[in-house]
Amino acid sequence: MLYYILLPFLSVLLIVLQSMITDLVFSSRLVFEVSLLVVIYAGFRLDFVRGTYLALVLGFIFDCLSGSVPGVFAWIYTIIFWCSFYISDWLETEKTHVIVLFSFICTFLKQIVIDLFYFLAFDMNVLVSAYSIAFIQSLIIGLLAPLFFYGMDRTGILLYEEKV
Amino acid sequence: MVAVFISVLVMIFYDLKYSTHRSFLRKIVLETAYPVQEIFSGSIQGIKDAWLRYVLLVGIQEENKKLKSQMNELKANLVAYEESYQEAQRLKKLLSISKKYPYRFVTARVVGREQAALSRTVLINKGAADGLRNGMPVIAYPGLIGRLVDVSWHVSRVLLFIDENSNIDGIIQRNRTQGIVGGAGSRGMILKYISKAQDVQKGDVIVSSGMGGVFPKGWLIGQVIQVDRQSAGLFLKISVAPFTDLSKLEELLVLTSDESTFE
Repeated sequence: MLYYILLPFLSVLLIVLQSMITDLVFSSRLVFEVSLLVVIYAGFRLDFVRGTYLALVLGFIFDCLSGSVPGVFAWIYTIIFWCSFYISDWLETEKTHVIVLFSFICTFLKQIVIDLFYFLAFDMNVLVSAYSIAFIQSLIIGLLAPLFFYGMDRTGILLYEEKV
Repeated sequence: MVAVFISVLVMIFYDLKYSTHRSFLRKIVLETAYPVQEIFSGSIQGIKDAWLRYVLLVGIQEENKKLKSQMNELKANLVAYEESYQEAQRLKKLLSISKKYPYRFVTARVVGREQAALSRTVLINKGAADGLRNGMPVIAYPGLIGRLVDVSWHVSRVLLFIDENSNIDGIIQRNRTQGIVGGAGSRGMILKYISKAQDVQKGDVIVSSGMGGVFPKGWLIGQVIQVDRQSAGLFLKISVAPFTDLSKLEELLVLTSDESTFE
């Protein structure tokens, strides 16, 4: 129960911190989307209900704080969680290259879906250069993913004396 | 879960259709995020400022290095300018001499010194190739300082008046008393063969007499600094100091005119 109560607050904390880091390190040119890594991690490690709740809450808070159309990120994050959750049965999610590749593909596809949504809904033509930025962003997220997963695993071991 | 997912989709389409960004949940999230954002932005801004200050300091350090290097260059330039200025002043003085008298002069630079116990000579960078000959008078502002003794093709040796081998005919300007000015090494010069009956005072100026034809008449040689009347013998013991500081000679004039033209 505590998980369901605390998660929205922790999600606010995460999204705010994420936007601050993005502003500080990348001067808002790239989005350092740790929240997406959290969703993928949840897909690999958490159960279905908890994970879906996390993806929905995290996505919704991201929607609210980023000023996007409410529900877009909630919807995408949920899809990504479900994909991660089902794929984790097929892939060896402990391996680094799987984590890197999957995180990279998810981040890149997420960006394309967002761009496509804005194109269809608002007729916003996204420049080709945006895809190169999305590529770099996905690459950074992909490369940082194993580190993040390792950190989360260690935290889980420290808190519960076993992997989450 | 499917219901939740569908409700999310409905929310999206509802928002797109009615363009409402003021839902209750959204307001709650924003209100919750505000204090967190404020705390974080304060600390992040502090880090950002510290980082910018660090970058600025690195920039200042670089600029400081450049400015120091520039300052050293400018100091070197200043020293060079000062040196040139002083040289110009010395040459100006020499030029004033050469303009004052209707003789031919050759300007030379001192390139070496010999300050042995018995010898007081300097080397200059002009020689026979420049028209110099043995015995020619050498001048440094404001008067005579010696004569050429060894003239090579491009270098010459000047025997200074303070050398113990140097003797020239001089007269006391005030009362025209004639004597021989001989070198006394580190003690300067002495005026010899002046009888005790003569009126010689401290501060009297000694000029060249022009006798013998080596030096032109009336050129400054030195000034009386001490007159000893108590010493034994027929003559006064008169100490004379040269007008020029002979230890600081740098540029000289050599009088190259024929002796016949000396007045």
